[in-house]
Amino acid sequence: MTHYPILAIMAYFLGAFLIVIFGRNRAVRNTLGFLGTAVPLCLLIMLAKPILANGEIIAYWMGNRVPAGGYAIGIALEVDAFGLFFGLLIATAVFVAMIYSFSYMSHDDNEPQYYTLFLMLCGGVMGLVLSGDLFNMFIMVEILTFAAVALTAFRNTVFGALEAAFKYLVVGCIGSTCILAGTIMLYAQAHTLNFAQLAAFLPGNLNIATIIAYALLFIGFCTKAFLVPFHPLAADAHGAAPAPVSVLISGVLTKSGLYGIIRLTYILFRTMNLGTVQFWLVFLGSVSMFLCVTMALAQHDFKRLLAFHSISQIGYVLTAAGLATALGVSSGLYHAMNHTLFKGLLFLCAGAVLHETGTTDLDRLGGLSKKMPVTTVLFLVGAFSISGIPPFNGFASKWLIYQATYQKAVESGNIGFMLVTVCCLVTSTLTLASFVKVTQSVFFGQLPKEYEHVKEVPFGMRLGMGILAALCILTGIFPGFVQNWLTGPAARAVFQANGYIDAMMGAGYADKFGLADTLPVSFTSVGVWSPISWLCLLAIMLLAVAIVAITSKYDAVSKAAKQTDPLTLEALESATAAYLPTAPANPAPRYATGHAASGKYELFFGGEESVFSQVGGDDLFWGFKHNWRHYFKFMHELHSGIVNDYSLWAVVALALAMLYAMIIL
Amino acid sequence: MILLNYIASFFLITLGLYCIVTKYDLMKSVIGLSIMDYGVNLLIITVGFNPGGTAPIFTFGELNPDSFFVDPIPQALTLTSIVIGACVTAMSLSLVIKLKEMYGTTDTHEIRRLRG
Repeated sequence: MTHYPILAIMAYFLGAFLIVIFGRNRAVRNTLGFLGTAVPLCLLIMLAKPILANGEIIAYWMGNRVPAGGYAIGIALEVDAFGLFFGLLIATAVFVAMIYSFSYMSHDDNEPQYYTLFLMLCGGVMGLVLSGDLFNMFIMVEILTFAAVALTAFRNTVFGALEAAFKYLVVGCIGSTCILAGTIMLYAQAHTLNFAQLAAFLPGNLNIATIIAYALLFIGFCTKAFLVPFHPLAADAHGAAPAPVSVLISGVLTKSGLYGIIRLTYILFRTMNLGTVQFWLVFLGSVSMFLCVTMALAQHDFKRLLAFHSISQIGYVLTAAGLATALGVSSGLYHAMNHTLFKGLLFLCAGAVLHETGTTDLDRLGGLSKKMPVTTVLFLVGAFSISGIPPFNGFASKWLIYQATYQKAVESGNIGFMLVTVCCLVTSTLTLASFVKVTQSVFFGQLPKEYEHVKEVPFGMRLGMGILAALCILTGIFPGFVQNWLTGPAARAVFQANGYIDAMMGAGYADKFGLADTLPVSFTSVGVWSPISWLCLLAIMLLAVAIVAITSKYDAVSKAAKQTDPLTLEALESATAAYLPTAPANPAPRYATGHAASGKYELFFGGEESVFSQVGGDDLFWGFKHNWRHYFKFMHELHSGIVNDYSLWAVVALALAMLYAMIIL
Repeated sequence: MILLNYIASFFLITLGLYCIVTKYDLMKSVIGLSIMDYGVNLLIITVGFNPGGTAPIFTFGELNPDSFFVDPIPQALTLTSIVIGACVTAMSLSLVIKLKEMYGTTDTHEIRRLRG
């Protein structure tokens, strides 16, 4: 059993190398790819019982170089419930993406190279979450970054693929270099690279070097998780990469970054009992959550929109993890799991649409539900999950996150955490809004003539999507099971750093450093019924509604003040009539009376051709967008697409993180 | 002496970042990445250096508690880091070649089709 983790990692890499040698034949290649992803999944599932249920920790020293004299000499693999939880997630997502790839990539050139890079990426992420050595972790970060960059540029004739890959490479390398610099500064202080020994040494030895290392590592893992200053890279990379790779980048690669952040803050430095660090994580998470969902509303590309939602959901996870309560961490991990499942499903559906129609442009698609009914149903499952609609898994985890933030607000007496609850709720609403838009403009409405020939996708792709949809429903229906057997043990492992240290370095090692597990271990389970908390939640929702109502009223007042809108309907129609010779000379009276009766909404609900209105008639939320146009314009100009700007954001984030860490620690 | 090394390494890292942020040319971005990488390599070597230490090559008979040698682990790490740096350069240069073919320029202000 102790050999399972290393075998799981090596199966991916072995598969990658064997495909390079024997991958010319399709059957051999597919068999190797299938085995390369199925074997690690089986191995990790076999580890689930001893680690998740019985709470054992596997310490595996490569070459049997066990610690001597209190110093870890060899390279270790350390598998606790927290690492195994992420490992299981990753293995599942990768397995499904591989099944999907068999059909999806069958028309591409260079398939062997694709599967090699695919398995390298999987091996890198798996090595990262099972590793117990900081430098080993850096190597795995580099492997996965390179594989992800190469896969982003894999279809290098696609619009923007090379550009996205280059931007990702530059900013990703800044992040990797931060991780390396942080690693080496920790080594200079602690003379070890082993997690357990660092976790014993660091909490009592915070000096200027370790604090800067903390900030460096934090920013490095933020780059891998694409948190806020790095979110444009995710959007670019997802848009250009093949759909199964989007699943890997969104469902798997971002998880490695989250894993790094939680491991760093909870176990290595044990700083999460400080209110300032909690504020740091919660603030970063809330900003990511809200900013990316508003960015998503303004997108016109299916995959780019999904990419921004992906980062928004990562923001939820970080917010919940930053609460430093047992309920918060377990709900955050729950949401991380759900994010992998539903976001993988949505990206696979986007891939199915691209596979059949050849485009992901929302303005050109429409009415596909008649031609692709299975994909539509599966997409709806994913869309309901991500929007948090009750029987699906997004509801369970988001509900727990609302509870956790609210509970934190009550316990700490800090009103700020209630604002976080409001932020979570508003973000969830905006997510639903934007998925209504996507569903309407891709799957419903009128079918364009050019897509009359579209067929349902092949069975292999439907199978991949079906597995994820089934998991979405199952984890939503049985939240108690997930909470007791998956996220609960993982959250407990996050708080029991001493047990982790002792399992690696020998019993009693943590006591020598005088460390105590100061953080809570127990937590209330899902579905806790407390009428007062429900009432307070209702009050918070009313508050959110009130804020929206007040701001929109203010906007209406300011608009009433300046009535001189030059773009009246008559002006538009005369302009259109001049522009289009075929336009009717006398517009139908319906427009005129409708316009006089209820203004812009008649334009929208009247169903006119888009030439008669300011924006496309298929955009459900143009009123909302119109009110927020200054914000959207500002954000659009900010995301300039110039690699120097994104690098500058990275440098600024690094500088701010260093300053903040120096002030608070 | 050691202090100078630390100053030089952080100067190199900052210089690399400065180059990436302010130079509007893909080739210069790649050069900036390399400079940053060299800075980190110098930092790693400096961390493991003991003034007056010997090379860390011993047989079991020679090794005793009084042996004074430089730390071998950072040297191993540097080798790995150099290899990774070479990979970064190779991969980014190959991307620059393809970008130049496709866009006809290496100016970062021209290469911004994905934005907003």
